[in-house]
Amino acid sequence: MGMVVLIVLTIAFFIVRLAPGDPAALMLGPDATPEQAEELRSRLGLDQPIIIQYASFIISAVKGDLGQSIFFNQPVTQVLKSRAEPTVFLSLFSLIIALVVAVPIGIYAAYRRGSFFDQSVISIAMLAASVPSFWTGLMAQRWLATEYGWFPASGYGGPDTVFIDRMVYLVLPALVLGVVNSALILRFTRASMLDVLSEDYIRTARSKGMREPRVVLRHGLRNAGIPIITVIGLTFALLVSGAVVTERVFNIPGMGNLVVNAVLRRDYPVIQGTLIVVAVTYVIINLVTDLLYLLVDKRVQY
Amino acid sequence: MKKLTRFTKKALLVAVLLAIPWSPAFAKSTITVALIGEADTFDPMISTKDIVSQVTQHFVETLYTFDSSWNVAPLLAVDLPEISNGGTEYRIEIRDGITFHNGSDLDSGDVVASLNRWLEVAPRGRGIADRVASIEATGPLEVTITMNAPYSPLLSLLAFSNSAAVIYPEEIISESIDNIIGTGPYTIGEHVPDQYLQLVRFDDYVSRSEPSNGHAGARQQIPDEIRIIPVADPNTRVEGLVSGQFDFADALPAESLERVADSDVAEPVLLKPFGWPIWAINHKAGLLTDKNLRLALQAALPIDDMLYAALGSEEFFLVDASLFPDGWVWNNDAGVEYYNQNDPATARSHLDAAGYDGTPLRILTSRQYEFHFKMAEVAKVALEASGFTVQMDVVDWATLGQRRNDPALWDVYITHSPFLPEPALTSLWSVTARTGWGNAEKEATLAQFTSETDLAKRQMLFSELQRLNFEDVGFIKIGGFNALMGQRKGLEGVPANPWPFFWNASVQ
Repeated sequence: MGMVVLIVLTIAFFIVRLAPGDPAALMLGPDATPEQAEELRSRLGLDQPIIIQYASFIISAVKGDLGQSIFFNQPVTQVLKSRAEPTVFLSLFSLIIALVVAVPIGIYAAYRRGSFFDQSVISIAMLAASVPSFWTGLMAQRWLATEYGWFPASGYGGPDTVFIDRMVYLVLPALVLGVVNSALILRFTRASMLDVLSEDYIRTARSKGMREPRVVLRHGLRNAGIPIITVIGLTFALLVSGAVVTERVFNIPGMGNLVVNAVLRRDYPVIQGTLIVVAVTYVIINLVTDLLYLLVDKRVQY
Repeated sequence: MKKLTRFTKKALLVAVLLAIPWSPAFAKSTITVALIGEADTFDPMISTKDIVSQVTQHFVETLYTFDSSWNVAPLLAVDLPEISNGGTEYRIEIRDGITFHNGSDLDSGDVVASLNRWLEVAPRGRGIADRVASIEATGPLEVTITMNAPYSPLLSLLAFSNSAAVIYPEEIISESIDNIIGTGPYTIGEHVPDQYLQLVRFDDYVSRSEPSNGHAGARQQIPDEIRIIPVADPNTRVEGLVSGQFDFADALPAESLERVADSDVAEPVLLKPFGWPIWAINHKAGLLTDKNLRLALQAALPIDDMLYAALGSEEFFLVDASLFPDGWVWNNDAGVEYYNQNDPATARSHLDAAGYDGTPLRILTSRQYEFHFKMAEVAKVALEASGFTVQMDVVDWATLGQRRNDPALWDVYITHSPFLPEPALTSLWSVTARTGWGNAEKEATLAQFTSETDLAKRQMLFSELQRLNFEDVGFIKIGGFNALMGQRKGLEGVPANPWPFFWNASVQ
């Protein structure tokens, strides 16, 4: 994990500096002169040789200091912490929605393979996976928030908004993300279950007179579990690393919105910090996914 | 039945409680404003960005400001200054009893320290620093600014909210200021970056007594709180407005006009005219240092087609040559025959005169402002038809902001500006600007213009400057464009303005 983080640190550092753009010129606005932009660059330490900037960045990062945001004038760790809540809860809610929708339907579609239900589910899943999430978001926002007023159209509350009320702001974006991600999980669940349901041991279980739900859930789902857990893990990692488009459409101040704004503002320390958090999140979620394999399949050993 | 009634009551109570969090109606005393993003800084001295002006004008103030007709009017000053010594000495009396947000009283020491900082760190202040001989406290509530020579745009500069000469308490003055303390009608309550900025009424604020008039006059502090929400996505601003979440939304896309107009909750506000798209020309290096090539460029541009492609409807643009719109004191028609020529033959003759060898004309533009890109696309076709080779450098705005500072990298970059109250506030006239337009006749006329105090003479001199701009192609005004904003029906006290303010706002 240490090596992964070091590699990510290095790539993050250099990749953001390879992109053209000057945070100082952006901050000063259109009527500042090049000399004034150069002075600000100097004050921000951006005029130092790149290798010195890199060394300073790595030494600080090892100490847990990801630097100071150029735009927010706050430590990057503090900026990232403030974005964790909406992103984590948005990811959790949308994953729960996706699981509740996708797994049972995927199992049942596989069980009723070739039926009208199965064909309909495949078509709908295909449609949900093909429609861009920004369009789904815009439609949901327009109809469910603006026209019917069932949800807030955007944002994450104000100064007087308590935790539980803030969660209300996440319901609509979570629905959108949940629907989009359920399509993928549904297709994986169905495909995986189809493989397993044609195995000999399923036939054996049925021939022993076992009831169908027990055959499907105990013998089928358990053996189909590994690919399903893998795709769930990957989906969750993707969500936690920032549902960029959905956060943008619903103006949720999460990691996705943060990283887009940081790129537009050329806030190098924030871009680097976000990439590190994303890398570490992926590593941890992959680790947890691997550990879950042990629970669902006794044959797996590390 | 009784049981059912109780159940119904409970269900209604739950429904009401659940509805509260997403109810669009905040307390009436809060005005919720959706702006295009976060202010880069709360110190308006150091930035020339409009978003910084829009936000900070609520908590910091200048000595002067502008009324609704863009005349300079006093704000922290008692009145307009006494100008003496041939227009070089400005004696400014400061209002008594003004309190900063930290409880200290405003005096001449604060004004001198703030103006000196403005000359050191503000892009606009630094631009005139060498013209200022001294800034001195000549009394506890009196300051005298002495110029080396008469400089008529000084008051406009002191009044402008962009790179603003705001007044801070002397004790916080330093090169960079983290905790901004001003005298404005609102103070910063809570700020959660990218989520909201809460501005709360400053109870010790002393408003001017004159009737409200643009930024001038009484600042009535009607809302208890102004809540500024940064909303980067334009469609999200529209939906938030028509769902009733926002009381005011800035910079809406032109295509949302009908949707906002059809809303039961909101109404469109068309700021007409808002500003002008500009083709800034590189006079320091590259192709367009050759006047014939600049004339060819000017002759080739199909202005009306460019504006149509960029803005879509005549409701949003005006094909207008004058550098200031109709009704402004600076409006005139000098040199307008050079505008919107769309004449490939003339362009080709200028190219021939220049001995043009097909070196690409580099147009630096960004899709972050889609209308910039669209007008460049149309212009490219016309320029190529006239004989130019065109290279479109389409980059994001951050990259454009960096590249335009290096004259080796571009020939034209596209930008835009609101119409500013005083021509000298536009940096494009200055030879020291990044565009570097130098012309002996223009410099002489500009020097006269900035030292002349008589309005009629200044108008005449500005006509001359406009003519010179067309003849020498200093920069190209593409036309006028309007800005679409939206507000809750019944919102009052927010005049249409490039830098809208909310201290007089109320919802009926």
